[in-house]
Amino acid sequence: MSANRIVIDPITRIEGHLRIEAEIQNGKVTDSYSSGTMVRLLEEILKGRDPRDAWAFVGRVCGVCTTVHSLASVRSVEDALDIVVPPNAEMVRNIMFCTQYMHDHVVHFYHLHAMDWVDVVNALKADPKKTSELAQSISNWPKSSPGYFSDLQKRIGRFVESGQLGIFANGYWGHPAYKLPPEVNLIGLAHYLEALEWQKEIVRIHAIFGGKNPHPNFLVGGMACAIGLDDASGINAERLAYVDQLLREAKTFVEQVYIPDLLAIASFYKDWGAIGGGLGSYLAYGDLPVNGYRDESSFKFPSGVILNKDISKVYDVDLRKDEEVQEFVQRSWYKYEGGDDKGLHPWKGETVLNYTGPKPPYEHLNVEEKYSFLKTPRWNGNAVEVGPLARVLVGYARGREDFKEVVDAALSKLEVPVTALFSTLGRTAARGLETALVAGWAREFYDMLITNLKNGDDRMAAMEKFDPKTWPAQAQGVGHTEAPRGALAHWIVIEDQKINNYQLVVPTTWNASPRDPEGKSSAYEAALLDTPVANPEQPVEILRTIHSFDPCMACAVHLYDEEGQHLSRVQALG
Amino acid sequence: MKTNADILILGIGNLLMGDEGVGVHFADSLLKESLPPDVEVLDGGTAGIQLMEAIESHRHVLIVDATLDGLPAGTIREIKPRFTSDYPAAMSTHDIGLKDLISGLTLLGRQPEIFLFVVSIDKVQPLEIGLSPAVDAVLGDIKEKVFQRMEKIRSENSEG
Repeated sequence: MSANRIVIDPITRIEGHLRIEAEIQNGKVTDSYSSGTMVRLLEEILKGRDPRDAWAFVGRVCGVCTTVHSLASVRSVEDALDIVVPPNAEMVRNIMFCTQYMHDHVVHFYHLHAMDWVDVVNALKADPKKTSELAQSISNWPKSSPGYFSDLQKRIGRFVESGQLGIFANGYWGHPAYKLPPEVNLIGLAHYLEALEWQKEIVRIHAIFGGKNPHPNFLVGGMACAIGLDDASGINAERLAYVDQLLREAKTFVEQVYIPDLLAIASFYKDWGAIGGGLGSYLAYGDLPVNGYRDESSFKFPSGVILNKDISKVYDVDLRKDEEVQEFVQRSWYKYEGGDDKGLHPWKGETVLNYTGPKPPYEHLNVEEKYSFLKTPRWNGNAVEVGPLARVLVGYARGREDFKEVVDAALSKLEVPVTALFSTLGRTAARGLETALVAGWAREFYDMLITNLKNGDDRMAAMEKFDPKTWPAQAQGVGHTEAPRGALAHWIVIEDQKINNYQLVVPTTWNASPRDPEGKSSAYEAALLDTPVANPEQPVEILRTIHSFDPCMACAVHLYDEEGQHLSRVQALG
Repeated sequence: MKTNADILILGIGNLLMGDEGVGVHFADSLLKESLPPDVEVLDGGTAGIQLMEAIESHRHVLIVDATLDGLPAGTIREIKPRFTSDYPAAMSTHDIGLKDLISGLTLLGRQPEIFLFVVSIDKVQPLEIGLSPAVDAVLGDIKEKVFQRMEKIRSENSEG
């Protein structure tokens, strides 16, 4: 059976897409294996199709990542055909991207990751008056009266008493790894619900610019929406004013709720500033162009690579170079025509399945051989981590003032050194800090869009090369973006107006992939080493580190004791 | 979403995974039909928490989704979930999925009346956009069941 590649990133409707096998000795993780156990074969669906339609298919890959895959796809086609999108389209894409970031990161923090740190049941013991004092001492957010917290506590109490823990049913409540006082737990719980309310507002921006949500519309050459300050039916001054209002409210929420909560919670978990660091090498492709996709110097998120925690040096990245980004299949259930020990650049990528694993259901994977449906990407042979921490470190190491400002402020508030960033705590903190940056940049993009419209430019798409008759017989391109989870790129080869090859290398593949031909681990496996596990039946510590990467899939964690005996099978929270 | 519709018919699923996308195929087929003004149809795709506004802004929500429950492919069951634990296992579109959203709405006291129409499928087929014959054959039956419920709600609403 011929197939292209898998991406475990999304499609989490069925559990078991990501499997971690961890060995524990003396209360610590001594070895771990990360396996993607589901094959998706998206590229096979795309082969032979019209390149202009690819965005719609890749957008269906995931309900959360829909915009980032669509964006990477249209960019890959534009790159191949040398299409430059008009400034309005660039700004609209940037605003949608910022919206995606704020939505995704806030939802990740409150609705997935917070439960690794916040003990919901313990919040019932909080004193509402003390909670109110604490809340007011860390933020100006108005919903902070004693009555507010007391009402909430009663509501949750009834919910829990009725035996309907619902969202909270899978938690390890009362586990000794939870360190927050009841009052901080109650604030976290209150903001869990407020964030749920908030997130529905911000996603309206996707419906405004993308025509619908979920799965908004994209277009090769620009965006599919008509825009003009006086446009009666399209996106006019009134609708833009609404976008402005939503972006302002989002920025307020990030500044007054997310960031204060993040710092308050982090201050009780500083020991996690020395746990879960892993590789110490980071990669960002960069994104948010202000002067076109080809001008990387204009990107709000700069690109670069940091190796071995050395932030005095940032390496440049070139996604077109044959030897820089390569994928290996030595430990993956595929085979390469030229041998499995060789790496292939995605333009030359092959995805021929070669499943040699056990027949499911099985107890163990044979981790000495191939053990994952994820390929193993490397940058110049190096294993690197992608995601918020990589972006923030690259911005910081590049000496960008905006990055330095937010990072240094957080470090000084928490009274931790810059090396604390290389950790689970650093990863979680970086996600919040970049959300604060993005919230500010979104306002800038909005202003640029309005200025451009006022100057009389209402172009939203460059359609000169939309007709396939204008295309060369052969073309190849790469569309990269910084998805909330990290560096994402789609490589496309177009031949005779059809897709000849299409390869996605997604953030979770960088982070969750199996070992390379040299036996080097990728980010998840490396980060779990030495993680303390107080109770293997309730491995909340492992979930903290895995969740700090924001894996986009249901996460089945398997634990083994010294003799390799199966201890427990734990379905991750959420 | 600005809407005056009282009833939402929401198809859920992944279009790229064969029968798993039956809810989306069903919603797409309804979008081509003319429906009463108080009924809205939405292709929810693989979204979870992003559907909050659509769900809470209607008084009645009829969800159509696939389930791997071991029953013969094409079996349709109508479920009136009381608690989120009543939803089938496959009903989790994402780490933070529809189930969590409905739990959250319950906590906020804003859960609409939900009817769930689950369609049994044999397996999830990656690489398939179309439906298998067994599941494709019941699209009409799904419509009949969903419309029966819809008409019942509408007639109760007009009486009351």
